[in-house]
Amino acid sequence: MTIVTTAPTDLARRLERFRAARADPGGADDPLPHRRIAAAELAERLATTLDGEVVETRTGRFVRVEGRSTELPVDRARLAGLPGHPPSDRPLVCLDTETTGLATAAGTVAFLIGLGWWDGPAFRQVQLLLPDHGEEAALLDELARHLPPDAWLVTYNGRGFDWPLLVTRYRLARRAAPVHDGHLDLLPVVRRVFRHRMDDARLRTVERTLLGVIRHDDVDGWEIPGRYLGFLRGGPAQPLAAVVRHNDEDVRSLARLIVMLDAGYASADGRRSAPSGDLAGLARAFVRARRPEAALACLDEVLARDEEREPVSEWVTPDAGQASADEDPDGNSGAVPWWSPRARPHFGGRPRPAADRVVGWDRRLAAATPWDRQRIATDRAHLLRRLGRTSDAEQAWAALAVGPGRTAIVASIELAKLHEHKLGRPDLALGSALRGRALAERRRQLGMPEPALEADLRSRLVRLRRRTAGSTLG
Amino acid sequence: MRTYAPADAATVMSRLLAEPSLARGVVHHAVLPPHAADYAPMSTWLDERIVAGLASRGIHQLYTHQAEAIEAVHRGEDVVVVTPTASGKTLCYALPTLQAIAQDPAARALFLFPTKALGQDQVTEFGALAASAGLSIVTSTYDGDTPAPIRSAIRTAGQVVVTNPDMLHAAILPHHTKWFQLFEQLRIIVIDELHTYRGVFGGHVANVLRRLLRICAHYGSRPIIVCCSATIGNPAELASTLTGRGVRLVDRNGAPAGERHVLLVDPPVVEPASGARGSAVTLAQRWALPFLRAGRQTIVFGRSRVAVELLLTGLRESLREGHGPRTRIRGYRGGYLPTERRAIERGLRDGEILGVVATNALELGVDIGRLDVAVLAGYPGSVAATWQQFGRAGRRQGTSVAVLVASGAPVDQYVIHHPEFLLEGTPEEARLDPDNLHVLLAHLRAATFELPFEPGEIFGPGPADDLLAFLGEDGHVRQADDGRWYWSSENFPASEISLRTAAPENVVIIDTSLDRPRVLGEVDLFSAQVLVHERAIYLHESIQYYVDRLAWGERKAYVHRVDVDHYTYANRAVTLKPLEIFAEAQATGGQRVHGEVMVASLVTLFKKLKFLTDENVGWGPIDLPELELQTTAYWLTAERARDHWRRNELDIALVGVGRAIQTIASVLLMGDPRDLGLVTQVRSPHAEQPTIYLYESVPGGIGLAERLWQRHDELIDGAADLIAACGCVGGCPSCTGPRLEPGVDARGLALRLLGELGARVPAAAAGQRG
Repeated sequence: MTIVTTAPTDLARRLERFRAARADPGGADDPLPHRRIAAAELAERLATTLDGEVVETRTGRFVRVEGRSTELPVDRARLAGLPGHPPSDRPLVCLDTETTGLATAAGTVAFLIGLGWWDGPAFRQVQLLLPDHGEEAALLDELARHLPPDAWLVTYNGRGFDWPLLVTRYRLARRAAPVHDGHLDLLPVVRRVFRHRMDDARLRTVERTLLGVIRHDDVDGWEIPGRYLGFLRGGPAQPLAAVVRHNDEDVRSLARLIVMLDAGYASADGRRSAPSGDLAGLARAFVRARRPEAALACLDEVLARDEEREPVSEWVTPDAGQASADEDPDGNSGAVPWWSPRARPHFGGRPRPAADRVVGWDRRLAAATPWDRQRIATDRAHLLRRLGRTSDAEQAWAALAVGPGRTAIVASIELAKLHEHKLGRPDLALGSALRGRALAERRRQLGMPEPALEADLRSRLVRLRRRTAGSTLG
Repeated sequence: MRTYAPADAATVMSRLLAEPSLARGVVHHAVLPPHAADYAPMSTWLDERIVAGLASRGIHQLYTHQAEAIEAVHRGEDVVVVTPTASGKTLCYALPTLQAIAQDPAARALFLFPTKALGQDQVTEFGALAASAGLSIVTSTYDGDTPAPIRSAIRTAGQVVVTNPDMLHAAILPHHTKWFQLFEQLRIIVIDELHTYRGVFGGHVANVLRRLLRICAHYGSRPIIVCCSATIGNPAELASTLTGRGVRLVDRNGAPAGERHVLLVDPPVVEPASGARGSAVTLAQRWALPFLRAGRQTIVFGRSRVAVELLLTGLRESLREGHGPRTRIRGYRGGYLPTERRAIERGLRDGEILGVVATNALELGVDIGRLDVAVLAGYPGSVAATWQQFGRAGRRQGTSVAVLVASGAPVDQYVIHHPEFLLEGTPEEARLDPDNLHVLLAHLRAATFELPFEPGEIFGPGPADDLLAFLGEDGHVRQADDGRWYWSSENFPASEISLRTAAPENVVIIDTSLDRPRVLGEVDLFSAQVLVHERAIYLHESIQYYVDRLAWGERKAYVHRVDVDHYTYANRAVTLKPLEIFAEAQATGGQRVHGEVMVASLVTLFKKLKFLTDENVGWGPIDLPELELQTTAYWLTAERARDHWRRNELDIALVGVGRAIQTIASVLLMGDPRDLGLVTQVRSPHAEQPTIYLYESVPGGIGLAERLWQRHDELIDGAADLIAACGCVGGCPSCTGPRLEPGVDARGLALRLLGELGARVPAAAAGQRG
């Protein structure tokens, strides 16, 4: 028997066949073939195109682009009064990175680091660029020089993204990440204070809605990695000019946002002209920072306003079902509102496919309703109770309990709690709970059941009946 | 016969063997004698707290295999421990781990289990051992169910991290900088259930381990690897291939065992004309029921999800009629959610659950304690898997019973009529190809993402530069000026690889019957084609669901509960096209070829079949896209037969021979018959010859086709042997497959064709064998 064998073992041949057979559906975004380019050449091209300078150090080279200086005065003492904001003696360093991907895992590189800091009333900026993968150590060392140990970082989603990514880069480069004193991430601040009048949490939306800045010819976030990777593969540096502008604007917007918070929200004077919904959100931020007195001041300010002068609901109502629709982790289809901590922040990227819409009544949507006086009053009543001002709280809840909707049920329950536990009046508590149940039943008949509240009322009523029966007998 | 009174397994068995209708089917009855324990003294270097802890649990000496394993680890050798089910393998890796941490609390260990469920049990068991030694060791499971806040605690403080290869691959390695404490201090890697790492999964896991060891080297650690495997033909080779290191084999089992009976049972031929046999599922129920009624913990294995659900329904029905312990019978298979599975495992351990019907999900060493009886409805596909399922029954004392009920499938028939194959033969070898280009390149991408490659750095078979240059062609990696290779794409390569399946995606099944939709489970794409197409009846925990909508693009199937008297069966049509020939050689009567093929699987219609009778009560179309598979195949042509055979007879002969060869192939190789698909062509478009193809059902293949090509002569002889030895007239499902046309002698035609292909055994002499 003769055996004719074509040797399939040779790696080159296997690769050849693999290449031929592969029906590459997605493939690479940029089919530029691989070519090895000198790092010095890449750095030079970057510097020339972007109007920067190549800086050579002992550990490598990076490109430095000097930004312009902007007048953006901040009253640091006043700013420190906001919840979670840095003490006035700490230098602030605004930081924003552009990266080769959205994962904070080991293979994502921060290729552009934008930095900004205050020099008196002037906000100064500089950008550091990575000319080649092998030069990263130099870039990281330079960044460390810009971060004094007592500095506070100011970022937008930097807690979740930029900083962990940089820590990863330092570790891969076998370096310790620079120490800093604190980190002010403005994304949660925006979520808490401004969520009621924004469609999503992207920095660009913040600019448009809060800062009155509208960008022209801005590069979309999802395009950025491709532009840089294309450059590394020998493509033109020109497309990166827009990326540098984009990053420059991002860093400046961090400063603008600080200025805006400082002027409009950090003092009682400033807050007088702030929209009511913002103050309600700010109050919640104060509560989280364990400053209930400050929170109460915000709420009192809102409720003291003339309703006619400024109806709270004039603001754009966010459509919770539409914003940043994400899948539940447990696979249930349904929308998580963009401001929910469970939602992945939407800060650019390719548009995501919309998830299946929830049809019909969904209690989660009720929680996404915009701020109205009733909701603000509810927060205030909670706060009063927390502060131990029992009779004020009782009054506040009593006012809400005769109001409309779900709030009235909640208020009835809260009243029952106060009566039972704080005032020692189970008889009054029973009355409140019964009113609550009547309201809940009516709501169920209208097709808007509140199972959690009803369950609470059921067990509460059982206990209260037992207690009141006991006291009558005794 | 009243069988409700509690009785021991031996009594019930003898009662069943006295029942003529059942005894007739028993083709072989083997008794495995009990054996006593072999002990070795406790190692002197063990920390005294550990020795005291063991003593407090009643362990004063070790079984010989345990002692041998921990001594080897102590010397710094990698080991693979081969032991049957429940022989105390946990100590083999728990003791070295405890010792390492007792000596240095900073030491870390990584336990890898193929599934989440296994990991859970091990955390419990290991925690108990550590506690009895008075060592406080943070042992944490890191899997898809671990909540985010706990994850970061595990990263920084988990001394023993228990996870599975999927998590290691997708969540740990790409984020290794967040795990640096683990990698810097990693002393021991435990790989349990080694035998499951074969085929595609094995090839993937071998590459995940390459990546793991590469990361360890980056952080300056060199962990020792301890593998545990069930009995297979080549454990040391498998461990070496998987880990890329020389591994010491420990396979002398010192654990005791009670007497065990093994019964091989053949269902009766119900229709002599077609050779159709009674259902293995029905017969398995008859064997299992009396044991259940007598209060014996029994496990019944079905081969498919559908079989499991049918068995479950059947057993529950029968026990209800007889007022037996119906609610104490539970189902257990891959598609169940973790909480359901855990409840079942707990119930089995504490005796709350009497019987379990399982697919091979329980073939893995989930700790359910030992049961009295194992009934297998159908041959699980390999000797190794059979013994693992048998091993579920086996108390240290007392008698246990294992029953294998064959189906009419050819492999089953071959195996139970050659009992020496099962009882004395070598278990199959586990094969994997860590250098399958699809797999290797995918993991090389992930590895580059994790850490840049130095020029000349070894990954797998050799320096990675050529492969990296290849990846560089489409720009996913690039060589920087410093000579290193860097990941240069915005993609996250680990998310593009699924370790379990060739197809990376699953279809999620969503129950819409309730107020709020609920996820029932998941199935892979290929199964989804036949299981959850629209209007299918999908069974879950014996509850029927009707598939309202299959959103193929979203990978979601929406179902609601129904109660009907039928199930659905979808027909898969397969077409095949050769792409390239790797090797070909002259064979008697034609050519034998090894090459690459494109297989297209299309599901176009389904039938509705009545329960029990399988009567066809309707059909419907299925509109799903074709799934394509590029893979390797072995094929043979029958050139001599082309011209002088009648076309319709040749067609039948090719199918018959193909079926027989497929059977022999899955017996000869590590064989799940589903790893190999069969296509026959009377006149192939490619070579214009009558052709039989056996293709690997895995993209790129795992090396089976090449082995078949090499063993062509054995396949031809074995097929002739199988068909000739079959007692049927004119062909049956056990040899040449179901008869295609009545009145045609498929058996004779197949033997004639095999003769022309050079089969050694003449048809007349065939009855002698066995």
